[in-house]
Amino acid sequence: MSDTVTINIDGQNYEVAAGANLVDAAKWHAGNDIPVFCYHPKMDPVGMCRMCLVELGTPGRDRATGELLRNDDGSLQIRYFPKLQTACTTTVSDGMHIKTNTQQVIDARNDVLEFLLSSHPLDCPICDKGGECPLQNLTMRHGPQASRMYFEDKQLLEKHYPLGDLIFLDRERCIQCARCVRFQDEVVGDDVLAFHERGRRLQIITHSDPGFDTYFSGNTTDICPVGALTTADFRFGARPWELNEVPSISPWDAAGENISLSMRLDRDFGGKAMIKRVMPRQNEWVNEIWITDKARFGHHFTRAEDRLQQPQMRTGGTLRNSNWEAAIAAMAATLQGADGDVAAIAGSGMSNEDLWALRQLLEGVGAGRLGAWPPTHDAAPHLEQVGVGAGTNLSELGRGDAILVIACDLEEEVPIWRLRLKQAQDRGAYLVVANARDTRLEDFAVQGARNDKVVEGDAIRYAPGEAVSVMRDLQKAHPQIAERLSRAENLVIVAGAEGLSLAGSEALAAAAANFLIESGHTGSANNGLLSPLPGANGLGLHYLGFTPQTTLNIMQEPPRVLIVAQAELLDDDPAAQQWLSQVETIIYAGLFDDGISQRADFILPLQSFAERDGSFVNGERRVQRFYTAQGPMGQALPAWKLFGGISQNAGIANLKPSAAAVMLELSGSVAAFQGASYRALSRTERQFPDVGGRDLYYGGTAYTNHGGIGLQIPTAADRGADVQRRDMADVAELRAGEGELLIMPITRLYNRQRSFRPSLLVEQRILNPYALIHPDDAAAAGTIDGDLIEIVAGESKVRVRASVSSEIAAGGVALPRHLTDAAVPLSASVGTVSRVTDAVAVR
Amino acid sequence: MNVIKGFQTTAKHLMEDAVTIQYPEQVQKFHQRYKGRHHLRRYENGLEKCIGCSLCAAACPADAIWVEAAENTDEERYSPGERFAKTYEINMLRCIFCGYCEDACPTEAIQLGHEHQMSYTDRRDAIYTKDMLIDAPAEGAASTPQQVEPGAYNRSIPDMEDPS
Repeated sequence: MSDTVTINIDGQNYEVAAGANLVDAAKWHAGNDIPVFCYHPKMDPVGMCRMCLVELGTPGRDRATGELLRNDDGSLQIRYFPKLQTACTTTVSDGMHIKTNTQQVIDARNDVLEFLLSSHPLDCPICDKGGECPLQNLTMRHGPQASRMYFEDKQLLEKHYPLGDLIFLDRERCIQCARCVRFQDEVVGDDVLAFHERGRRLQIITHSDPGFDTYFSGNTTDICPVGALTTADFRFGARPWELNEVPSISPWDAAGENISLSMRLDRDFGGKAMIKRVMPRQNEWVNEIWITDKARFGHHFTRAEDRLQQPQMRTGGTLRNSNWEAAIAAMAATLQGADGDVAAIAGSGMSNEDLWALRQLLEGVGAGRLGAWPPTHDAAPHLEQVGVGAGTNLSELGRGDAILVIACDLEEEVPIWRLRLKQAQDRGAYLVVANARDTRLEDFAVQGARNDKVVEGDAIRYAPGEAVSVMRDLQKAHPQIAERLSRAENLVIVAGAEGLSLAGSEALAAAAANFLIESGHTGSANNGLLSPLPGANGLGLHYLGFTPQTTLNIMQEPPRVLIVAQAELLDDDPAAQQWLSQVETIIYAGLFDDGISQRADFILPLQSFAERDGSFVNGERRVQRFYTAQGPMGQALPAWKLFGGISQNAGIANLKPSAAAVMLELSGSVAAFQGASYRALSRTERQFPDVGGRDLYYGGTAYTNHGGIGLQIPTAADRGADVQRRDMADVAELRAGEGELLIMPITRLYNRQRSFRPSLLVEQRILNPYALIHPDDAAAAGTIDGDLIEIVAGESKVRVRASVSSEIAAGGVALPRHLTDAAVPLSASVGTVSRVTDAVAVR
Repeated sequence: MNVIKGFQTTAKHLMEDAVTIQYPEQVQKFHQRYKGRHHLRRYENGLEKCIGCSLCAAACPADAIWVEAAENTDEERYSPGERFAKTYEINMLRCIFCGYCEDACPTEAIQLGHEHQMSYTDRRDAIYTKDMLIDAPAEGAASTPQQVEPGAYNRSIPDMEDPS
């Protein structure tokens, strides 16, 4: 069997990939746009809308002999079906002939459109989809010029039906293509939408509580071929043709979702360009054409009024507004006078350029302690060695491949990975999820079958804190699972840090790396290690020398001068107050004041990702750049300019004129970034499926990638280095003693993190503080579901409501970060749980 | 000969009325279709006809119109549809009075009137805001925003007749 077949489209022969359907093949190879409404290239065809009807013929064969029939002139005899066929449900076969422009086809399209429009409201002037609407475009191209129907006969239905807090449904506009229902079912796996009633009464409903309960709901508005689904965020915000698109990268997680910021001037933002909406930008290696709701609806912090806007300096004991010139000069003097006792803690929202400028500054003043924030995950050294191979595309994983996800909750930490891994399992990959508690991905792993397809997977439940030994002893404890994993053609292991200390997360990554090395799954595409490092640039921190161990070291031995760069120490860990008090001078640069202004001597406003150029390294080591979109808030500067300015003032290095120039120097100095100039990062190539062009009907309103697909840093294994397994004989694991429990901080996607708080739309979805505890442990602590409990771990003391459930294994308490203002420990630690009996507090 | 011919023409017109008028004492008569300053119209019940669709701005060849839309609620209703113009501005220095906005308007909200005496001493004064452009409500009708019965207006775009 060859991989290609020859088909004839409108009299022209094309060689197309075998197994494709006619819509895809005609579009990709012949540039022939067969119109569709219900078909979407990322989903199975259903042939519901009948818009893709074509004349279809195949070479005739003699019934007796099976010989191909020929005409008198020797050409093959093509037998056409008597009726039109749907192109989306037809798989190409050799010698197939289709005609897409005959009168019969034209009439059929005309009729389908006339039928769809028979009850479609004429809302186009105010419809958010108007201008980028497949129904509008296809009607212009293929539709009837006038309607034969009575206008009065149109159905009048509800125009403003909320499907959850984020998405509104206009029931009149819906053409019942089921793209949204199928997307939730097939692609996401959160089966929360459905059709209700029949015929002309058919309508979309949500049957979850809260409504439309999924982290991917915004994508349904992109693939909706009409304006039936609109987002609460962008509703009536602007007309699509008025928007300027700026390529960017989601600042939230390690996936590095490619997004497009739709910008427009706005009176409410002082007449400056402002983000009106966030749309997906196609990058088939990273996020395909999907983005999470957090990326889509979480942009409001970029123009929050309480952002820092003015440099401040402490003079005479009080913090006073200052100007950049004075502040930079004062900081240069402070740093030079510190005798090299300077350290820096950088957050994972800093771009590579910022980190490079900060590192140059610190090296210039003779200091070397570079800390990464938050100090929770330490898998980066192993990702550098045996991370997923260059060219990895999670959507290539399928039958014969295997995936192990251990000690993380991808649904909450990196939702796009969870979506893509779930789809890999749909395609036949074997998915194993190991954790001390239930996670969303585990539901899929053990599901057995979905959408009439058998899916394979297993779940491993271990006692809290045991992740490392489970990974290390996988062969012994779970021989069958280990066997299937090691024999898989391709193997990807995702190792997190849930229930682990910082050292534990490093050990888990080492154990996972050992497994990969032993089974030979390193150094090639679609094989290797992943880790859900927090923030957008967790790996950039590593490659530029900022490590979480150094942060712990800084916390233990505070320096004289500490630079805190876009790291919200007090927001993440209120207990940091204690060691911060030992620092003589704190220089804080960031977006928000998280209370550090009480102590800091310099408060410096930084620009967010939307206001400047820069680049992030995502969890798959892809260096991706983002572009300037929004005007700066107040006097905020990009961090590279601030630290470069101090360097220049201190006579260390000249300030670079642009982020591009910083990157050019960086790519020449740090081996990992070799060749990563802005020009190289902005390279694009044609991707399947074609989305975002004038053919919105096909892939939806996701944008074509004009900003660059990024450049992947090769791992040591990719470069052919001999990666060695590490001896893991004795691993110090956290063990809870008698009467103690393991306190495991966990991540929730929607939380009250400082930079997420201004996105008020999502506020409804943020849970109240809670702690998940096993019934046995709850009984031991004398508490029941809903009780107020006090969790004490070292310095931190948290009071939350107990959620008693066997979703978590006995011996541990899962405590979500950033839901409560109290000091949740940074990493897992041993502690105690007791019921609060103080009547006032309970009330 | 030619000179005589020329004077004959002059003599013929000597007897006719003057074409020139004494502006501003005398005011020229405008044709019905004369395109002067824009008006934003209201329905008889006082609600605004403009639904903030921005099609006028899209049609404008001089990029003179700026619209920002927002959503109506029954507590604060500006137009009978779902959407209204929160900001509506026309830069009269840019406007070429072509009337394309009027043609593009799906609700006949914007119409070019007969006022032509516009002068400014500051460029900013040439930007006519919504307050300056919109007609006063008809006698007895309330201005906007109005508080209305919930569900009284349930169409995205009102029917072209007066919905009251």
